[in-house]
Amino acid sequence: MADLSIKIGHTTFKNPIFVASGTFGYGTDNPELVDVSNIGAIVTKSITLNPREGNPPPRIVETPSGMINSIGLANIGVEKYISELLPIYEVMDTPIIMNIAGSSITEYIDVMKKVEAVSSNIVGYEINISCPNVKEGGMEFGVDCEMTEKLTRELRNFTDRLLIMKLSPNVTDITAIAKSSENGGADAVSAINTVVGMSIDHKTKKSNIYTTYGGLSGPAIKPVGLACVHKVFNAVKIPIIGIGGMVSSHDVIEYILAGSCAVQIGTANYRDPGIAEKILNDLNDYLDEQNLNSITSLIGAVKTYV
Amino acid sequence: MKIEQAIVLRNEQIAHGIWRMSLVAPDVASAYVGPGQFISLLTDDSWDHLVRRPMSIAKINEDEVDIIYKIFGDVTDHFTKKCPGDSMNILGPLGNVFTDYNSEFAEPILIGGGVGLAPILNLYDACEKAVMIIGARSADEHFLNHKPDNSVYLTTDDGTAGIEGNVLTALKNMNLSENTILFACGPEPMLIAIQNYADEYNIRAQLSVESYMGCGVGLCQGCVIERQNGQVMKHSYHEKYSLVCLDGPVYECDEIIFG
Ligand SMILES: Cc1cc2nc3c(=O)[nH]c(=O)nc-3n(C[C@H](O)[C@H](O)[C@H](O)COP(=O)(O)O)c2cc1C
Repeated sequence: MADLSIKIGHTTFKNPIFVASGTFGYGTDNPELVDVSNIGAIVTKSITLNPREGNPPPRIVETPSGMINSIGLANIGVEKYISELLPIYEVMDTPIIMNIAGSSITEYIDVMKKVEAVSSNIVGYEINISCPNVKEGGMEFGVDCEMTEKLTRELRNFTDRLLIMKLSPNVTDITAIAKSSENGGADAVSAINTVVGMSIDHKTKKSNIYTTYGGLSGPAIKPVGLACVHKVFNAVKIPIIGIGGMVSSHDVIEYILAGSCAVQIGTANYRDPGIAEKILNDLNDYLDEQNLNSITSLIGAVKTYV
Repeated sequence: MKIEQAIVLRNEQIAHGIWRMSLVAPDVASAYVGPGQFISLLTDDSWDHLVRRPMSIAKINEDEVDIIYKIFGDVTDHFTKKCPGDSMNILGPLGNVFTDYNSEFAEPILIGGGVGLAPILNLYDACEKAVMIIGARSADEHFLNHKPDNSVYLTTDDGTAGIEGNVLTALKNMNLSENTILFACGPEPMLIAIQNYADEYNIRAQLSVESYMGCGVGLCQGCVIERQNGQVMKHSYHEKYSLVCLDGPVYECDEIIFG
């Protein structure tokens, strides 16, 4: 059997199949449907300084091979995350990566400082600078190189844990933001967050989402995610965690070939909360069939024409 | 809660645009708690339509689970193509249940409109005694018979079957008591009318609401409905909004606000 373990920064994960923020709750739900101990890491729902109730409904609509959401970062807030969830994570086998969102550099820092101030076994932070659905979602950082670098550098001062910047595809040049993250001291970048989209009901002539625009996810965005990962792979030296539209081990392999060293499964969890484990098993079989003992030789190995 | 590859036993049109599907689903059936619960179905194995569709359970009979659905888009159109022996990937049972319908003195009145009659029929089977009102636009959308002697009333907008008017017309002609409890499921305008009526006459009512769901198991936070008495504070979480998939689909009518 292949060795699926991977190293990002100084953190080792038992396998490269993670679950994406916002698509797996806080990692503590649905024990009946999924055994989380086999998942490489759980990235928890974005946490902000204060609890957030989120956007009014409708928040979700299906689109061709995808869906649009505008949840609006509904979350329990950092205080409850610390008091209610960290103790649960303490006894879980699965590594937890905490996703943080904020509307100002100080908000991100305040959240991180509170978590760093207590003892916990979370392995790192993913910084959401790319939520398209609320103005507090950090998008103003995610589209601005200087801000991204400053935020990364500031946060770097407060933690030795893994620091991952989560990039948005809704920018002119994703490689510039990736470089800023690298310059600021990030251990890795993850890409992509959702793609801005809209859905209209021709019968009622109404928008299907309360906030008009939302974030498109699912297989529909896989080609966008692959292109982003590949471009970023050619632009930075730090590892890339691929995200966007993966539903099978084949999708995962494509993301690895594009340059990812690990991946996050998102929307597919809604259909089957146990899908990450199935994908992992299939990936294992693939590596065995190919006589590969790890994914290392596949990372970024796509054969391009030019 | 289980994910199961259920086998289609029957799938037939029972009235104009309304279908009934019986599935053999032992895992889901054995975890069933009561009327009000729903299952969530995948269209097929492809990812073209990736979001599951929630459908109320219309009947449970040993390892059989029935749903009633209306054709309102290409997904439900897809459902009509399923033949006996085909499999359907289902998740369930999900959600909470109607309560107190068999409690001492309770005088339940069950009201269903459109496809909202699925959980109402299921509840009717579970009630020791009940009055039931089913509304539709016209006779061809009904598959039950108007039987006032058995306390089953049909209404039609065009008067082609049962009482001419809507479910409220029928309800307003009934003798209600302090023990009356209304149980309703149907289109939102109907539920709002029942909510207003219950409020005006101070009657208890339990409403089963529909919501667009991304997952059905609380992961996506998509299916919210606004709470009536929630502390709407500047910063709150699940105080202003309730998750229909976990907290619902059945709510006391004074708990929620329709959009
Ligand atoms: C309903 C929903 C909620 C999400 N919430 C968050 C969030 O809170 N924070 C975040 O960084 N990303 C969030 N995402 C984005 C996902 O983590 C992921 O980047 C995106 O969905 C693309 O991957 P996918 O196509 O596999 O879903 C959310 C996505 C969905 C569909």
